[in-house]
Amino acid sequence: MKTILSPLKNPAGVSPVTSAMALAVLAALFLFPSFVESPYALHIMILLFLSTIQGEAWNIIGGYAGQYSVGHAAYFGAGAYTTMILMQSRQIPPWYGMIAGIIVALIVSLIIGAICFRLRGPYFVLASIAVAEIMRLAAMNLKELTNGAEGILTTEVPVFRIGETVITDFLTKVPFYYIGLTIALLTILATWLVQHSKLGYYLQAIREDQDAANSLGINLSIYKSTALAISAAFTSLAGSFYAIYIGFIDPPTVLALDISVQIVLICIIGGIGTIWGPVVGSLVLVPLSEALRSNLIAQVIFKAGLASEESGTGIFLKEHLAHAHALIYGILVVVVILFMPDGVLGWVKKLSAGKGRG
Amino acid sequence: MAPILEIRNVSKFFGGLAANSDVSFTMEAGMIMGLIGPNGAGKTTLFNCITGYYPPSRGEVLFKGQSLNGLEPDKVCRLGMVRTWQKVRPLAKLSVLDNVMVGALCRTSSLKVAREIAMEQLRVVNMENKASFVAGGLPIGERKKLEVARALATQPELLLLDEVMGGLNPAESEEIIQLILAIKKGGTVTQMVIEHDMKAIMRISDRIVVLTSGEKLAEGTPEEIVNNPEVVRAYLGDFHA
Amino acid sequence: MIVFLQSLISGILIGGVYALIGIGLTIIFGVMRVINFAHGDILMVGMYLTYNLFTLLGMDPFLSIVVSIPLMFLFGAFLQKVFINRMLGALPQNQILLTIGLGLIMSNTMMLTYTSDYKILTTDYSSSSFNLWGISISTPLAISFLITVAITVMLYWFLMKTDTGQAIRATAQDREAAQLMGINVKWMSILAFGLGAALAGTAGALISPTYYIFPQIGGTFTLKAFVITVLGGMGSIIGATLGGIIIGVAESLGAVYISSGWKDVVVFVLFLLVLLFKPAGLMGKSRM
Repeated sequence: MKTILSPLKNPAGVSPVTSAMALAVLAALFLFPSFVESPYALHIMILLFLSTIQGEAWNIIGGYAGQYSVGHAAYFGAGAYTTMILMQSRQIPPWYGMIAGIIVALIVSLIIGAICFRLRGPYFVLASIAVAEIMRLAAMNLKELTNGAEGILTTEVPVFRIGETVITDFLTKVPFYYIGLTIALLTILATWLVQHSKLGYYLQAIREDQDAANSLGINLSIYKSTALAISAAFTSLAGSFYAIYIGFIDPPTVLALDISVQIVLICIIGGIGTIWGPVVGSLVLVPLSEALRSNLIAQVIFKAGLASEESGTGIFLKEHLAHAHALIYGILVVVVILFMPDGVLGWVKKLSAGKGRG
Repeated sequence: MAPILEIRNVSKFFGGLAANSDVSFTMEAGMIMGLIGPNGAGKTTLFNCITGYYPPSRGEVLFKGQSLNGLEPDKVCRLGMVRTWQKVRPLAKLSVLDNVMVGALCRTSSLKVAREIAMEQLRVVNMENKASFVAGGLPIGERKKLEVARALATQPELLLLDEVMGGLNPAESEEIIQLILAIKKGGTVTQMVIEHDMKAIMRISDRIVVLTSGEKLAEGTPEEIVNNPEVVRAYLGDFHA
Repeated sequence: MIVFLQSLISGILIGGVYALIGIGLTIIFGVMRVINFAHGDILMVGMYLTYNLFTLLGMDPFLSIVVSIPLMFLFGAFLQKVFINRMLGALPQNQILLTIGLGLIMSNTMMLTYTSDYKILTTDYSSSSFNLWGISISTPLAISFLITVAITVMLYWFLMKTDTGQAIRATAQDREAAQLMGINVKWMSILAFGLGAALAGTAGALISPTYYIFPQIGGTFTLKAFVITVLGGMGSIIGATLGGIIIGVAESLGAVYISSGWKDVVVFVLFLLVLLFKPAGLMGKSRM
C-alpha cells in the first residue's frame, strides 16, 4: 500500500536543498526590479502577485474549509471602493484606507456567515453570489457615494512619508512591485500558518465530512466564519492594492461575477487546498490572460503558419481573441473540473506517484 | 453515584413515523451496554438523539446529571461523549495520523501534544505503522479501527459504537472485541455498543437493551435477554447462548 | 391604487415566466441534485434561437415555441449526456463549478457569434396593450402568461398522470429506491435536464418580444431562478410556481416604488431573508 504524505504532515521540516532554492527565489524576487527596468515586466509581476493574493485568500475558505464562495468579488470590491472613496473624498491615504476596507470586508463576511453557515447544502455558494451582486448593484446605484457606472479615478496617490523622509511618491511601478510582493508573501505566510495550526486541521475536517467533524467537537459555524473572515481580509487587501495601482475602478472591474469566477479558477487550476496551488494557477492564468489581451496568441498562430493573417479565420482571430478570455476561462473550468479536479499540482502528484511505483 | 447516562422517555418522530418511542434506561459509569434489535428498530436514531445530531421530539437525555437537550454535537463531544458511525466516516484526504489528531485537538490546541495523543491511540488499535497512510485508501477493517482511535483521542467518558463490527471478518471482529474489553478494563470509558453480532454482544455486555419498532422491548443481563421469550420471538429467533 | 394594481398585475404576468424558469431548475435539482448554474444561459440560448427563427424564418416568437421546445430539450439532453453525467458522483462544489464553466462557454460563444449588441425582437404586438377594468395590460406579457399556464398544466399532468412522469418524481424522491424498483435513473437524469432546458428555453422565447436580447442576460436570470427555487423549496414544483409569482410581484413593486436600478437588489435581499428565516422554503423539502 503506497504511503502518501498528507498535505498537513511536515513535522520533520524542510530539506536544506529546498530551503536554499526557496531563498534563492526570494532573493531573485526582491532584486528583480534592480535588474529589470521594463515597466511591462514589472506590470506582469504585479499582476502575478495580485492573482496570488486573491488565490491564496480564497483557498483558505474554499480549499481548506471546502466552502466554495463564488462571490469573493464582494471583498475585493469592498477593499477597492473603501480605499478609493476615502482617498478621493476625504484625502485619507490608502494605507489607512486599506484597513477600513478590511473592516468593511469583515462585516460583509460576518453577515454572510451568520446567514449561511448554520445551513447545510449549496446555500453558501448561492448567497455569496447574491451578496456580491447586491454590492455591485449598490455601487451602480449609490451614485453620490461611488460615482455609479462612471467609477472612481484617482488623481494621485499621496506621498508616503515616515517622519520627514519621503519613502516613495508612487510615480513608478517599483513601489507597487514591492508592496505587491510583500502582501503576496504575507498571504502565503498566513496560509501556511493556518495550515499548520488547529484551525487548519479543523477546516480540513469540515471539508472532508462536516457531520463527522461536528461530532468530534468542532463548532462548524465558528470555524467556517473564522476562515471566511481571514479570506475576506486578504481579498480586501488585494482590492485596495489593485485600486491604487490601476488608479481606476468601476463596478464591472471590481465587483462583477467574472472576478469571482477568476479567483476560483486560480485555485482550481493550480490545485485546491495546497499552498502553492494558487501560485501555479496564477502562473498559468496571468500570462494566458495577457497573451490574449495583447493579441500575442493571434500573432503566434500567424507566425506558425496555422492561419493566414488575411484569411477570414485570421481576421476573426485578430478581432475577437482579445475578448475571448472569458470563453477561455469557461473552457478551462470545464476541462479542469472534468479531467484535473485536483489541478495542475494534483495531476503532477499523480504522475510522480505513478512513476514511483515498481 | 449518579448514573453517567440517563435516557428518560425519549421519543423521536419523523413526520408521522415514530423512530423512537418512549425509550428509557440508565447506564452506570464503566459499564458496557449492548443495544440490539432488528434493522429499523431505532438504534442509530437513538444515538443521533443522544449526541445532538438532532434533538429528541420528546423526553430528556442526561449525561453526568446534566440535560443535553438541544446541545449541538460538538458541545456534547467536549462534555465527554463521542460516537462512531454505522457507515464509517474517515476524513478521506487526510492521513491516518491527521484523522486521529483532529480528535485529539478536542482537548488541546497544541499540534505537538495532539500528535502524541494520536500516536498513542494508534498504538492502542495497532495502526501506528500506518500513520502516514491516506485514510481514504484504507480497507474497511482499518477504517473502523481508525474511527475508534479517532473517537478515543477526544478522551471521552462515554463512547457510543454503532455497528463497529459490521462488514468485518472474524479476525477483525475479534480484534475489535478485545479492544472494547481493553477499553473497559482501562476503567475510564463507559461504552454503549450497537451490534448485530450476538455472540460478540453476549461476550462484552454487562447489560443489554432491546429495541423493536422504536420501543424498548426488554432490558437485562445477557442471560435474561437471551432467555426472554418476547425477545426471542421478535429478534433472536434460533440464537442460543 | 391603479398604479399598485398595474404593477401587481404585470408582476404576476412576468411571475408566470419566472415560474417556468424556476420549475425547470427545481426539476433538475430534484432529480439530479445538481445546482445548474448555466440555467440562465440556457434561457439566453432559447432567446437567440427564437430571435433567429423570427428573423430568418419569420416565425412568430410565441408560435415558434413548438420548434424551440424539442430543440432546447435536445440541447439539455446533450449537455447532460456529455458533461454533467460525468460529475454525478462528484462533490457538489465541483458540479456547480462545471455548470458555471458551461454557462461561461455558452454566453461567450454567443458573444463572439453575435457580439454584445442588444438585439430587439419587435413584433406588431410587442408594445401593444389592452385595457381590463381600467388597468393597462401588456399584450405580449398576457399571451406569455397564458402560454405559461398551459405549459404548467401540461407539466403537472405529465408528472402526475404518466408513467414516465411518475418515474421522474420517484427518482427525485429517492434515487436508490427508484433504481431498485427498476427505474432507469440515468435516463431520468437526461429527461430531467432536457426538461429543465426546454422550460428555460421556452421562458426565453416567451420574453423575447419584451426584453433586450444580449449574451450576458443569462446571469441575472440564473440568480433569480435560484432565489425562486430556494423560496419555493428546492425540488418542489408547486413551490417554484409560487416562488416565481412572488418574485415577479416583488420585482415589479420594487421597480415602481423604489427604483428600477434597485429592483434586482430587492430580489437578492429577499433571498437572503429567506435563507435567514425559512431556508427550506415555502414548501419545505424535496417533494415534487
